[in-house]
Amino acid sequence: MDDLTREFLIESQEGLDRMERCLTELEERPQDTGLLAEIFRSVHTIKGTTGFLGFKRLEKLAHAGENLLGLLRDGKMTASAAVITVLLHLLDGLRALLKTIEAEGGEGDGDDAALIARLEELQAPSQHAKARNAGAVHQARQDTAVKAAELVAAPGATADSAAPPEQVAAEPTRAAAAPSTAVKIPAPEPAEAAADAATLTPAEAARARAQGTATESTLRVDVALLNRMMNLVGELVLTRNQVLQATAADPNMTLLSRRLDMVTADLRESVMKARMQPVSNVFSKMPRMVRDLTHVLGRRVRLQMEGQETELDKSLLEAIKDPLTHAVRNALDHGIEPPAKREAAGKDPEGILILRAVQEGSHVVIEVSDDGAGMAVEKIRSKAIERGLLSTERAAQLGERDLLQLVFVPGFSTAAEVTNVSGRGVGMDVVRTNVEKIGGKVEIDSRLGKGTTLRMRIPLTLAIIPALIVRSISQSFALPQGALSELVHIPPERAATAIEWMEGAPLYRLRGRLLPLVFLDRLLMPGRECKLFTDRDNFIAVLDADGRRFGLVVDSLADPEEIVVKPLSTVLKDIGMFSGATVLGNADLALILDPGSIAIKTGVTMSNEEESAQAVEEESESEAARMRYLLVEVAGRQAAVPLADVLRIEQLPFSRIEYIGCRPVLNFEGQLLPVEDSGGILAATEGNPEAQIVVVVCRDGNRHVGIAVSHVLDVASGGNLFEAGTGARTEGVTLLKDRVTGVVDLGGVPPLPAIEGAPEGWHETAEALG
Amino acid sequence: MSTGVSALHRKQKNEALVEVCSVRVGTTLFGIPIQHILEIVGSARPQPVPLAPGFVGGLVHYRGDVLTTVSLRYLLHLPPLDGAQDILVLESAGGCFGLLVDSVGEVLTVSAVDYEPNPSILDERRRALLVGTYKLKDSLLVMLDPERLDPARLDPARPSAAQAA
Repeated sequence: MDDLTREFLIESQEGLDRMERCLTELEERPQDTGLLAEIFRSVHTIKGTTGFLGFKRLEKLAHAGENLLGLLRDGKMTASAAVITVLLHLLDGLRALLKTIEAEGGEGDGDDAALIARLEELQAPSQHAKARNAGAVHQARQDTAVKAAELVAAPGATADSAAPPEQVAAEPTRAAAAPSTAVKIPAPEPAEAAADAATLTPAEAARARAQGTATESTLRVDVALLNRMMNLVGELVLTRNQVLQATAADPNMTLLSRRLDMVTADLRESVMKARMQPVSNVFSKMPRMVRDLTHVLGRRVRLQMEGQETELDKSLLEAIKDPLTHAVRNALDHGIEPPAKREAAGKDPEGILILRAVQEGSHVVIEVSDDGAGMAVEKIRSKAIERGLLSTERAAQLGERDLLQLVFVPGFSTAAEVTNVSGRGVGMDVVRTNVEKIGGKVEIDSRLGKGTTLRMRIPLTLAIIPALIVRSISQSFALPQGALSELVHIPPERAATAIEWMEGAPLYRLRGRLLPLVFLDRLLMPGRECKLFTDRDNFIAVLDADGRRFGLVVDSLADPEEIVVKPLSTVLKDIGMFSGATVLGNADLALILDPGSIAIKTGVTMSNEEESAQAVEEESESEAARMRYLLVEVAGRQAAVPLADVLRIEQLPFSRIEYIGCRPVLNFEGQLLPVEDSGGILAATEGNPEAQIVVVVCRDGNRHVGIAVSHVLDVASGGNLFEAGTGARTEGVTLLKDRVTGVVDLGGVPPLPAIEGAPEGWHETAEALG
Repeated sequence: MSTGVSALHRKQKNEALVEVCSVRVGTTLFGIPIQHILEIVGSARPQPVPLAPGFVGGLVHYRGDVLTTVSLRYLLHLPPLDGAQDILVLESAGGCFGLLVDSVGEVLTVSAVDYEPNPSILDERRRALLVGTYKLKDSLLVMLDPERLDPARLDPARPSAAQAA
């Protein structure tokens, strides 16, 4: 295939992706000329280029589509549901042809006559076609709407042709958004529809425009090249570390090496950013799928998508495509009930499916929630016993949440019948396997009759993960923080008695429960004796790998480090103990331990999980009302900062704090950060420039603020507190670890004085003061 | 495999002169055609990998990647060597890997006329690793084929290794 054709294929694919997005949006706002123009452009470009490249079949099909789209664009027809359906078929037809060209280099000898005929039939300005059109849009349409639609379809009609065009445009919009439209997907309540359309349209249009200009200022880069760049940056980071170590003693080099340090950090961040793509790239495929599936399944569903701008590494985005598809299929098939059933249950016949993406620290959480039937825990229990997954006693002990997680077991399906959409029990298994493959976690939460939420926690990037460096058999190993739940230190004097043995199996009593132990040195060098050192400290890393809890005994702990994951060759992957390798800051190589495989290899099973079950139960109680907080100590008092707002925690010398007037600020990479010092910590440290202080950097709306704290204590889930008598939710306090704790009011941190006053001259002011 | 060898062989027959990098392991002088060599890393100390097959010499850091190395000494049943060794970074169909050798010598230009295939008395194990030899003035230059040294092919746990062995 020549370069020209290849480029044409890539461009056309992009055009069709755009077209698909626009088509599903068009269903909500059939009058949006911007959308129609965009769709027209996509098809037109394909037609133009194909004629040039000599793909006759493609040209013919695109031409037929273009004619129809031309009428739509010029307002000679309305984009009714029937029209959109045919346009979607056109899209599929074009895609199929492109695929054939890509695979075979030619168009093949299929026939598109049927599709072309349908496209042409819709264009026919005959009364028959018009009636069909209007009828198909919706029977429930109000008369006025029909009139309006006809009016648009045939502008030559005499009777109402004097009607103001705005009115004509507004009517069908509202009609199409009416709740009785079975095929409509993401549209809010009818009352808000008009308002929403009005507010959304300019925003969407702006976005479309931004995308238009973006294509001009961007260029396509091979992912392999980006990977290579990432590798080289990793290499550079390493070289930098060595340069820093080598030049530490030389005062002449300090400035240079610091500059190198900064540039390297910036470069690394930029390269990582280049690999990030918005979640909308995957989300945008969903409206079409939901539309098609609702048709097949006879459901009525409104799709809401939130947090589309959240960014994720490209390879991860690619990896969540499948799990997300399965989750959505499941939600539509088993979650949301048919309209009649919903009505019988007293619910809105139209179900709601929400896709939400949100960044939480170094993870992105993607939720798929429906307000459907939910899952019957008892059904899962009996099914699990029937399938021999659980003993009757064990099943009786398990909590609701743990039972729900059983749906991830391969082949487990509670669906009464297998439909061609889902129900074979493969879906959820795929979801879990794929998500775990990329170091993520899946959770399911369901209330019978209320709905189901599937939560996928995905690491921000695959390439860099936080890890704890541990040592064993005089080598360093990296232990991913994701699986680490706690560390237990056993001093030498307790070493002799700390471990209990049960017929050769080492166990440790952790808060009254027995934790199976795995000795890393013995695992790596079979034949070693399992025992703790009585002459120095011992450490147990308590790991939780997909519900398998065990303690890994290591010789010593080193610092936690952000590690760059390097793949291993297949020979070493086959050992089934290491998930990769990494280069540490001191240029040593370390293998990355895979807790899941170690658990399986050593025979740790899910059976010993009462403890986690208990913990989960605690957590699940009033889950919805709970939020995660960073627990800090400010001058002897405990305070909480919402974890979602915490950007990072900085430890720095007091000398870094500067003052504008009497307001403490932090000059952070050229940006000024107001520092809140309610506890008087800074005031107390004043005069001691060497002292280290801790500043929690938080997000407050668009600005960043720093909170000076004495210590960072922990991360905990907080519960709401209610005022006695009124039952009103109290603001500003939360229940953390059974203690009433004040929540730091980030909004209360006053803005920088100079910013309030004179934005233009504030640089000078800051200089003059600082 | 056989096609690969004969291809290599033919290539060497056709081109009158071949450039070969010589390496020493034990007392033998081995040779690898230079077009297979990406880089030579001097005096490296690979990080051992617990539980890995014996022929794996360990891991080394190479240009931002982590390379698996193959110990030629192990494959030839020679006792392991203490201290740093040289590594040839080789490219094979399965990707890059490192070959641990005692020391890397100079690049020799040899003539295809001096080439001879493996002698029949060579044992199974060596016949699987070696391709043939060039007759130098006062010694033999035993030729290695990077494809046959690829760790993925050497792994006894993998089916493809059965054919290689």
